[in-house]
Amino acid sequence: MIAQQLVNGVMLGAIYMLVAVAFTLAIGILNFLNFSIPGLFMVGGMVTWALLAQGWHWSIAVGAALLAAAFVALLVERLSYRPSRDADPEVPLASALGFLILLENLFVIRYGSDQLSFPALLPDFNWRLGGLVIGGAQLVSLAVAVALVLWLSVLLRRTNTGRRIRAVAESRETAVILGVDVGRLVPQVFVSSAVFTAAGGVLFALNYLQVSATMGEGVGFKGVAAMIIGGMGSIWGAILGGLLIGLAEVLTIGFLGADLVDIAVYGLLLALLILRPEGLLGRPAAREKL
Amino acid sequence: MALLDIENLAVSYGPVAALRGVTLAVEEGRITTILGANGAGKSTLLRAALGAVAPRAGTIRFAGADVTRLPVHKRVAAGLSLVPEGRRILITMTIEENLLLGAHLRPDQGAVRAEMAAIYDRFPNLASRRHMAAACLSGGEQQMLAIGRAMLARPRLLMLDEPSLGLSPLFVERLFGLIAELNRGGLSMLLVEQNTGLALGVAHHAVVLELGRVVMQGDPAVLARDPRLQEAYLGESAEPAPQPIPAA
Repeated sequence: MIAQQLVNGVMLGAIYMLVAVAFTLAIGILNFLNFSIPGLFMVGGMVTWALLAQGWHWSIAVGAALLAAAFVALLVERLSYRPSRDADPEVPLASALGFLILLENLFVIRYGSDQLSFPALLPDFNWRLGGLVIGGAQLVSLAVAVALVLWLSVLLRRTNTGRRIRAVAESRETAVILGVDVGRLVPQVFVSSAVFTAAGGVLFALNYLQVSATMGEGVGFKGVAAMIIGGMGSIWGAILGGLLIGLAEVLTIGFLGADLVDIAVYGLLLALLILRPEGLLGRPAAREKL
Repeated sequence: MALLDIENLAVSYGPVAALRGVTLAVEEGRITTILGANGAGKSTLLRAALGAVAPRAGTIRFAGADVTRLPVHKRVAAGLSLVPEGRRILITMTIEENLLLGAHLRPDQGAVRAEMAAIYDRFPNLASRRHMAAACLSGGEQQMLAIGRAMLARPRLLMLDEPSLGLSPLFVERLFGLIAELNRGGLSMLLVEQNTGLALGVAHHAVVLELGRVVMQGDPAVLARDPRLQEAYLGESAEPAPQPIPAA
C-alpha cells in the first residue's frame, strides 16, 4: 500500500517538478516571479483538449499547445517583463498576475468554467510490478518530466548557451561585459520556461483526464511552494521540492483524507521555512543560482 | 590608421557628465595607458569603448569600422575584450566554465581547448582547481583567471581596468610581467591603472584624463618627468618612475 502511494506521489511530483522548474528559471535567471506560469500550464492542457476536440492528431495538438504557450510567454516578456524591468520588482509581478487572470478569463469566455473531460490518449495500460500498479499515463509523465529535466541540466552544464544563462543568473552586468546578448537570451528563457510548464499541463490532462480554465491555479501555487521548499533559484531544489510536494499530497490523501491535502502541503512548506528559511538546497550566503 | 579611434566621446550618467569630448587613438601592437584621479572617467572610457555604456555624442572606430552603435556582443566578437575592474569572476561557476565563457562567441570552438591548455600551463593554480567553483581562488588568481578568460575571446585589443587593484606585490609583479609578455606577442592593450609608476613603465603611450577630458598625452618616459603629473599621481615625486618592467 505505502509503496503504491510512493509511486503515485512521485508521478504527481513529476508534474509539480516541471512547474517548479519553470518558476525557477524565471526567478533564478531573471529575478522575476512569473505569475503567468499557471496560465501557461492551463494553455498547455486546454489547447491540447480543444484541438483534440477538433479531431486533430494528438501529436499536432500537443505541439500546437506548446507553441501557443511559448507565444503567450513571449507576449508576457514583451508586454510585462521588459517594460518594467527597471521598475520595482513588484511591478512585473503584478502585471504577470494580471496576465494569468486575463488568460483564464479568455478561456472561460470561450470554453466555460466547468471541468472538461479529456480523452484517454493512451490505451488503458497498467504495468504490474510485484504488488505495484503503474499506469501508462503515469509512466509517460515520469519519462517526459525526467527527459526535460535532464535536457535542461545538460544544457545548463555543458553548452555555451547554458553557461551564458548561468552567467546572466549570477550577474547580468558581467554577462554583458563578456558579450552575452541578453536581449536575445531572455526571450529564450521565457520560451523554455513556458515549454516546461505547458508540458506539465499536458501531462496533467493525460493523467487526470480533465481540464479546465482554472486548472493552473492549484498546481501553479504548489509549483511555487515546491520551488521555495527546494531553495529559490536552484534547479535541483525545484526538482526535489516538486517530488516532496507530490509525495506529501498523495500520502495525505491516502492516510489522512483528501480534505487535508492543502493543509498538509502548505503546512510542510511553513514548517520547512521555519526550520530552513533558505530552502533545502538554497544557500544562505552566496546563494547558488541554477 | 589606429586600431581604436575615439573621437569627441561624451558620456553622461543622468545629469553628471563622465566624459566631455575625449579624443584618443590606440595604436596597433602597443600598450596605451590611461591615467587620472578617481572620477576622471577612465572606467567609463573603457566601458564606452566596449559598448556597455551608450555615448551621448562622439564616434568610436575599431579596426577601421564604426562601432559606435554596435551592441557589446558584436564588439566582443569583433575583438574588443575587457577585464573589468574588480575582475568580475563568476563565483558560482567553475574555473573552467569561466574560461569557456570567454570563448563563447568564437566560431572556432575546436581551437579553444588547446588555448585553454596553454592558459592552464601558464597558471598551474588554475589547472589544479579547474573543476572547482571560482570562489575558491585568491584575488591574484582571480585576476589571472579574468585575464585568461578575456584572452580566450582572442581579442585584438585587450582592455584592462585597474588590474593591480587589491593584489599582493608578488601578484602585481607577475601581472605586469604578463602584460609585457602578452604585448611582446603582438597584443594591443588599453590599460587603466592606479599604479601610475608601473603603468608608465610598461606603456608606449600615456593619456591623462581629468574630469572627463584629456589634459595630457604622450611618451610615458616624458610624462613621468612632468612635474604636474608627478605632483598629481606619483606622490611627491619621491617614487622613482617609471619602474622597471619585472621579468616575465
